[in-house]
Formats: sequence, C-alpha cells, structure tokens
Amino acid sequence: MDSTLSPRPVSLRGLTIGLLDNTKPNATMLLEEIAKELQEHHGAGEARLYTKEYFGTPVAERLLEQIVDECDIVITAVGDCGSCSAATVADGIMFERAGVPTVSITSDSFLMSGQAMATVQGFPGFDFYAVQHPVASLSADEIRERALTALPEVLRILGVEG
Amino acid sequence: MTTTTLAEATMPGAEAEAEADQLREVLEHYWEHDWTDGLPVVPVTEGYLARFLATVERDPEEILFTITHLNRHLTVRLAAINAAMAGCRPEYFPVVLAAWEAIAKEPHPARGIWQSTTGTAPFLVVNGPVRGEIGLNSQGNIFGSGFRANATIGRAIRLGLINAFGLHPHKLDQATQGTPAKYSACIAENEEQSPWAPLHTDYGFDASESVVTAYVIRSVMHIEARHTMDPEQLALDFVDTIRRTGSLIHEYTSALLVLVPEHADVFASAGWSKDDLRNFIFEHATRPRSELVAVGKDALSHKTRWRLSSDHPDSMPDTAAASDTPDTVRVLSHPTSIQIMVAGANNAGVSAVVEVFTLNPPRVQPFSYSRIGAAGH
Repeated sequence: MDSTLSPRPVSLRGLTIGLLDNTKPNATMLLEEIAKELQEHHGAGEARLYTKEYFGTPVAERLLEQIVDECDIVITAVGDCGSCSAATVADGIMFERAGVPTVSITSDSFLMSGQAMATVQGFPGFDFYAVQHPVASLSADEIRERALTALPEVLRILGVEG
Repeated sequence: MTTTTLAEATMPGAEAEAEADQLREVLEHYWEHDWTDGLPVVPVTEGYLARFLATVERDPEEILFTITHLNRHLTVRLAAINAAMAGCRPEYFPVVLAAWEAIAKEPHPARGIWQSTTGTAPFLVVNGPVRGEIGLNSQGNIFGSGFRANATIGRAIRLGLINAFGLHPHKLDQATQGTPAKYSACIAENEEQSPWAPLHTDYGFDASESVVTAYVIRSVMHIEARHTMDPEQLALDFVDTIRRTGSLIHEYTSALLVLVPEHADVFASAGWSKDDLRNFIFEHATRPRSELVAVGKDALSHKTRWRLSSDHPDSMPDTAAASDTPDTVRVLSHPTSIQIMVAGANNAGVSAVVEVFTLNPPRVQPFSYSRIGAAGH
C-alpha cells in the first residue's frame, strides 16, 4: 500500500483549509482556532468545516471525496479516545493518498493506538500531531492555548515554513 | 514393582528435562506471538481443529464478523482455532459460532467500541437445552470461576478479538481500565428456577430452541436486598443503581437485570410480569436536574451528545429540558432499555445490574441474538 505523503505546498497563501470535525467535545473550537491562526499569520484562505458521521470509524467515502474536491489542505481532530484516535489517523492517511496534505490531531495519550492504526493502514510511521491530553474538559481559553502550541507542528507536518 | 528413592524422584533425568523444555517451548510459543489473554492457551493442531469444525455444517472460510476499518475478518476457521485455544470442548463450538453471529449483529463492535477507552466487554447469555447438554452453569457463582463451558466459551470470544482483529491492550485496544469481563463473560439463564418464561421466548423462540444473546457491557454491580418481600421496595433498590450518574456517557443508559430466583419470586408472587417490572423501573429511573447539575452532567455536547455541564463551551440543553417536566430527567429512553433474566443460586436475595453500553442514539432493544445450530449463509 502507498506510504508516501502528498506533495507539500510551499506556502499556505490563499489555500482553502478543510476542517474535519470528528464530533468530539471541543473539536470544532480547536480546529477553528488553528484555522484562524493559519489565516491571520500565514495567509491561508477560506476555512470550511465538515462533520464526520461517527468519530469511531474513518470518514465516509462521499464526504472524503467532497473535501478532496473542495479543499487544498485538511486538518482533522480530535482523536482523544481509543477508536477515534485510530480513525483520525486513518483519515489522515486516506487524505494523503487522495493527494491532500493533512494534519491528523490525536491527543498524546493515544500515540500507540494512532501508530497501530497507521500500521494497519499500510503506512507505518505516518506523522500526526498529538495534542496534550485532555481536550474534552477544557475551557475556551485553554483550547486556544492548545491551538497555539499545536501551530508549529501543524506547519511542520504541512511542510510549510513557520 | 520398582522402588524410587526420594533423590531419584526429585532430581529430574535428561528425559524429564527434555520433556519440560518441550512443554515450555509449546506454551511460550503462544505468548511470544501475543496470541493469548495473558493466560496459557491450548496448543492447536490441524487434527485438533478438525474436531471443532466437524461440529458445525459450515464452510470454514465463511466470514462471521468483519471490522471494516481494521481490514480484518473472523472466519469460521479462525473462530474454531480460538475456541480450541481457549480450552473449549469441540461440542461447545456451535455456541461460540452463534455468539459471533450475535456479536456481528450488534452495532458497536463493528464501529470500534473494543478500541475504546470506555473498556466494554462482550457478554453472552445462553438459553435453551444446550445449557444442560454442555454443562453451562446457571445456578450459583454465575459470574465467578469454576465451570469449563462458561469460562471457555466467553474466553473464545476474547481470544478471537485479540488474534483475528489485533485488539491488543495498549495498542489498538485503548481501554482506560477495562473490566474483568474482558477475560470471559458467558452466563446461562436459570430457566428451571424462574417463575417467568425464558429470555429467548421474549424474542419469539420456542423454549426448546437454544439461543445466544450478546450484549456489550461495562459494569456488573451487585444488589444486596435480603430485606424485603415488597416488590416496589425491591424494584426501587434496583432503580437506585440503574440511575447512577457515573454510567451516563450520553443522555441514557440501559441494563440487564440478572435476578436471583428469590427476587424474581417477589415480583412474580405479587403478580408482576417482566413487562410490569420494566415499566415500573422506566417510570422511576429519573433524576432531579439539580443532581445532574451537582455532578456537571446537566447538558449535552453539540455533536456527540455526551453529557457535560451547561457551563461547558460545547454545551447545549438535553432532551428533558424541552419537555413538560424539564427538572425531571429520565435516564432510560425506552422500557425495553431494561432487560430481565433469572440466574444464580436460590439461596439469598443478591442480584445484579449489568450495565449495557449505550451510545447515541439509544436502541429500543439493546442486544442481539442468534440461534445455536442455525444453517450458514
């Protein structure tokens, strides 16, 4: 199975950001905070929010195709449980194989399950970002801090200079 | 007659050493491949496997259960290998096979619930004549150890999950704590000492048929109630456990009541049917909103609809908030969220509430079943 990343953009200027929300508490806010940073400081274009049907399994094919069609890069969050950490990593791999640079965000308690899923999907060593656990119980200010902390890693995985 | 000195008996010869090495080599082989639940497994050869496959008229390559997002299937052959490894007798295999069919009908296992932090376990209930035929225990120590059929049929499922689907703890299985039921959980109904018709007749089967019912469970909590012959008092004692806030991930919960014969008789003697009991519990399994506020579970998250505080940035009102009685919050979505069976010894008023895992949206019937000995597809 294919284990090469999609081509990286040189800059985010004008690129449409797909935010794939897996429905977990605070996922929307975390994604929107990251997108806001990418727009304000890196010139990224429109951010479009999409919602998964169920967090525990990979994104449905139709939604995947729609996002690939409409967006230049994707950020997906938040894999802060057993099934959804694995599914978030599987989603990232599926987007990369469809040619869209993607940052999967799990929480750092679920590195092992994310890595195990990458192996199941034939992409061992797939790079994703593990945000500090927890996420679900945080306040709005704390989510903003998590987003700011994530930013350098998001840019690194997207292959863009910070 | 030969005589052996003590020294000869305790000092193993070369032959005994070789035998011990061989035994260890076989046993360790399974651990080295992570093919166990931590306990030793029975070594399986093709010849031994054939005895299990001979008990069912099924194609060994028939797929019983698939977890699509893991790219893995469980075939009849893989189910048989794991049943043999678990220590089943070949004649238990039709029960194991029906159990997998029931599990495959459950919505959560195929959607990754056994990778989940909640740490649920498969839980099997067996009804019908097969109980006596293979020696399934239904009377006394039903959740405990000591009975080969119960112990190994439940374990056959666990080994299948580990070996066919790669659900190893700390890896794809991210259970935060799990439950002891993850080793094995298979009970049988004590139909002989129940005042009511057996569980599987509730689904339309004849009592003479044998059926496996599969649940996805978390906790088994015991109810000490040796104090009353009043059905309402007894039912309210169950309600107190069923409506505990700790079980609430979403708005609602579900439970399997495993009543001992003595408790079942309290209800039956007062003229209560199983439906009367579940309706009573449904009506009383509520909480004042203030109690949910006190534990920070008085609202829902927008998308997952998980319970959280109305102060949380992702919160929205729950269903009860829009009802005529916004300050009384139901924890059961349907009367059938309560399932009722009889098991255990007829020696004390000690029953159990088995909490059935309930994601959103809640199901009317929170279980699946399969007839033992049914033809293949």
